[in-house]
Amino acid sequence: MSTLQLTIAVTGLNNTDNPGPGVPVIRSLKDSKAFDIKFIGLVYETLEPGIYMEGLCDKIYQIPYPSAGTNELIDRIEEIHRRDPIDILIPNFDAELFSFMKNEVRLLESGIRTFLPTIKQFQERDKDKLPEFGEKYDLKVPASLNLGSQNQISQIKDKFEYPVMVKGKFYDAYMAYNSEQVKQSFNKISSKWGLPVIIQEFVKGTEVNVIALGDGEGNTIAAVPMRKQYITDKGKAWGGITLADKKMLEITSNLIRKTKWKGAMELELIKTVKGEYYLLEINPRIPAWVYLAVGAGQNIPEALVKLALGQEVAPLEAYSSGKMFVRYSYDIIVDLEKFESIAMNGEL
Amino acid sequence: MNITEEIKISDNGFVFNSKTGDSFNVNPTGLELIKLIAQNIDFDSIKEIFIQKYDIDDLAFEKDYHEFCAMVNYHQVATTEDPLDFK
Repeated sequence: MSTLQLTIAVTGLNNTDNPGPGVPVIRSLKDSKAFDIKFIGLVYETLEPGIYMEGLCDKIYQIPYPSAGTNELIDRIEEIHRRDPIDILIPNFDAELFSFMKNEVRLLESGIRTFLPTIKQFQERDKDKLPEFGEKYDLKVPASLNLGSQNQISQIKDKFEYPVMVKGKFYDAYMAYNSEQVKQSFNKISSKWGLPVIIQEFVKGTEVNVIALGDGEGNTIAAVPMRKQYITDKGKAWGGITLADKKMLEITSNLIRKTKWKGAMELELIKTVKGEYYLLEINPRIPAWVYLAVGAGQNIPEALVKLALGQEVAPLEAYSSGKMFVRYSYDIIVDLEKFESIAMNGEL
Repeated sequence: MNITEEIKISDNGFVFNSKTGDSFNVNPTGLELIKLIAQNIDFDSIKEIFIQKYDIDDLAFEKDYHEFCAMVNYHQVATTEDPLDFK
């Protein structure tokens, strides 16, 4: 089989203790035998470790935060595209997804393909709409309350037993054992991510996740369940192991069939001691632990690229259970010139 | 009692439950016992094997066996239709 030459742009190269999926996505695609890829790293910050990892990206460009304005972001992408034509763009941050979804047609018209969920799919799984989502798609979800102001904190004791989870719309989750702790978390989260702040019932159990890929027609192209074995104080998986859990796969394929989900997703679930599964949230993108799925036998980024190219992709059904990933930190020595180039010119 | 199909048992005594992600270490005697259970050998035959091989009487074996089975049941390594029947 001949290898197809492609240029793929990837965001999320922040391989820190709160890792983005960019580096593992690139590693996964480098494992692909179907493509010969030139990688363009798109970065927001000058200290994203993926910028400096040897042999990872062929070219790095700095892009403006979506908060600076969607047009500014897309204009910059098109400017980069004129210099280094991009075939496929894989965005990996929740906060930037909306901008790329909204401009899917504009990007396609200039020759940049994406494979993202629709805006409707993206919005209906918002954390503050999870109870309605659970009801619509017949999934158990923890009870929740959206707080628009601090005055509502007193309502929590009527609805929940402490502890409760206090969550931001995009990121961050803290456990709170009393109203004072809720107040502290509320202030921390609302100043960073805005309102509403979500109060979620605490469901006791084991945290399990599924990485999956839907073709947009209701078919599950790939799905691998995993249990986090080591969780950092930021709540991120630093170690995990693939599971042979048919129920998790069933939940995933039912959800993809009903929603006709397009693109990658991560289901975050809690499995109780009674064997019930509660959906905590859906991340509408490839998660940072994607390379575990590749190691277990399903190269999800490769399948996503094929779908973006409009190729037929047969569902990947087999994977190995008991495959583990363990993250580690590593010091890269960087010459000042490299840092200077990205800081001064916005490219490397 | 049945060892569930998701259980992987290594010759070193490492037991991995691929459904839950839990793993356990069992000692050589535990490994021998769990392997016999996995082969669907009935309780009386297992008892006979252990009494002949080790310095243990009927009552002590039954007590240890039931304790072991309760533990593997608790950790979802094995299933029983009747929770009181460990045979």
